[in-house]
Amino acid sequence: MKTTITAIATTVALGVGLGGAAQAQDDAIVIGVQVPTTGSEATYGQDMYNAAELAAAEINADGGLLGRQIELINGDSACDPQQSVNAAGNLVSRDVVGIVGGYCSGATMPTLKTYGDEGLPFVITASNSTQLIPANPGNAFMINSTGADQSKKAAEFFESQGIERLAVIDQGDSYSQDLADLTVERWESMGHEVVTRETVNKGEQDFSAVVSNVRSSGAEAVFWTAYYADGGLMIRQLRQGGFRGTIAVGDGSNSPQLFEIAGGAAEGVFAFSNPTAEFLPAAADFIDDYQAEYGQSPGPYAPLNYDGLKLLAWAMETAGTTDSAAVVDVLESTDGQSWLTGPIRFTDENTLARSNFIILEGEDGAWTFFDN
Amino acid sequence: MPAFETFLQAIVNGLVLGSFYALIALGYTMIFGVIKLLNFAHGDVYMVGAFVGFGVLSLISGVVGAGWFGLGIAILVSMIAVGCLGVIIQRVAYQPMLSAPRLSILITALAVSLVLQNSALSLTDGKYTAFRTDLGFGGFEFGRLFISHQAVVLVAIAGLLMIALELFVSRTMYGRAMRAVSIDKDMCRLLGINVSRVVAITFLIGSGLAAAAGTMAGAYYGSIWYFMGFLIGLKAFTAAVIGGIGSITGAMLGGLILGLLESFGTLVPFIGSEWKDVFTFSILILVLVFKPTGLLGKSEVERM
Repeated sequence: MKTTITAIATTVALGVGLGGAAQAQDDAIVIGVQVPTTGSEATYGQDMYNAAELAAAEINADGGLLGRQIELINGDSACDPQQSVNAAGNLVSRDVVGIVGGYCSGATMPTLKTYGDEGLPFVITASNSTQLIPANPGNAFMINSTGADQSKKAAEFFESQGIERLAVIDQGDSYSQDLADLTVERWESMGHEVVTRETVNKGEQDFSAVVSNVRSSGAEAVFWTAYYADGGLMIRQLRQGGFRGTIAVGDGSNSPQLFEIAGGAAEGVFAFSNPTAEFLPAAADFIDDYQAEYGQSPGPYAPLNYDGLKLLAWAMETAGTTDSAAVVDVLESTDGQSWLTGPIRFTDENTLARSNFIILEGEDGAWTFFDN
Repeated sequence: MPAFETFLQAIVNGLVLGSFYALIALGYTMIFGVIKLLNFAHGDVYMVGAFVGFGVLSLISGVVGAGWFGLGIAILVSMIAVGCLGVIIQRVAYQPMLSAPRLSILITALAVSLVLQNSALSLTDGKYTAFRTDLGFGGFEFGRLFISHQAVVLVAIAGLLMIALELFVSRTMYGRAMRAVSIDKDMCRLLGINVSRVVAITFLIGSGLAAAAGTMAGAYYGSIWYFMGFLIGLKAFTAAVIGGIGSITGAMLGGLILGLLESFGTLVPFIGSEWKDVFTFSILILVLVFKPTGLLGKSEVERM
């Protein structure tokens, strides 16, 4: 029996892991885009890939980078650590000169070493677990605010809502666990109580046990720190199970898809968000271009991935070469010039030097701006 | 919530979960009964059932709405369609392998599982599909105990299906033939029973029950995707083993027991909800070690 289960797991992993793209042209500058384009987070991943494609097309139409065309290769991480390592190895073997992307910190984590060993510049556009910081060999740059910034925002929000007893639910992966841990720590240091701390398994559909634990703990609010696909299920089952308190979700769950899955249950749910395109003053053109090209609105991480590719291209242009060490040097000294998502400057740890979180509220099946 | 209400809530949660497990476990156990195959594609048949049910409901919701009536039709159509799919799978993939070594047919089952999963993956782009209904979030409230209307109806439907199956197996000619085939296939052939048709009917019913579970789970949890059958398939298999694989009553019992065990397991201090799967599969291992025949299974003497 054990061998059978292992066999299933292996075959499934292999079956999902195989994929590819066209061979690169000889003279093109090849950049890898590591995002999940299959699996539970495929919606965000595809949005991010589209945004990178849009940025590359703009640069190419403008005369290219260092006089050459940019070509993107998709490294599908599927939000899965094992598959992302395979995808990263594949990108490296195809001689990419830099990587943009990184969504799902758990899947990004092991690729830090793969790219680090090659010294390749890696602009991490979405992943923001603080666990990535010590694991960074120095070639990676995080242009999204980290989990620490978000947990601060979350704790301040719950306090402003007059909440005393909080339940925190994560999914056991490094992103959601990190955000949950940081929030619990901060919430308790502010003198409030975390009445229950739950973890659900990825791929599980029945959260009834968690719902009864939350209800029996007498929690006034629930903070879901993981992703939208299961977040939608969780919100639905919390409401289905009779929980009537405040529900807030982390930035992994602020997708419009959450409303499709949770249905009416997502009304009045709060979400913490990185600056999404519709709330960015500089992004009006970006939204129009994206709409025209892909016939849908850009997801929450699309602007960040767009910036990621533009930033990497800018660094190569400034360095005058695609040589890894030179490009990393330029990125380290990024001067705070303004991009779609705002100014980018890095701390000594290569993280974004400011917080960019805002609060959204679910209303009539869509996110509306609540506060920042 | 006082301990007593927590206890009752755990029973309610366990019954819902257990109903899904039981419906899927029935397919495992029936198919194992007639052709001695652990059909590892069964979880994916459940997944296909969910997608077919979803498709039917989307088509008819404009006419009959997406309430209980519409869902009932979706369940029924999905059961029939996926039942037929089960028969096709059996005829195409398993029938030619029946005389091959047991391991070959097991590997065939894994292949079928991958075919179903990856077909669904490419058709849906690997995305979650929202399963929308108009069933609402209402429920019965007793103090802090909460039982949603959906849960009550779903458990009732599952119960009816199981009663119908029990009657079919114990009262009808084909039911009797099914039991006979599971005891001695060659003897049945000699007595003029159309074994091949009995096997087909078994796949029809087993796959149909999984499809019913898939459609109901889709409506209850609100989203479906290509990988949804994997974990629940393994758990239903565990339920079938607990009940005694090959035994129909055992599968129902095993499903409910596993659902309740999981539900209560999360109440035990230090076994939080994150240990749920570890808990489930530990039970599988314990049963395999200490009572490999399960609760109601008969120990078989391998004849050489």
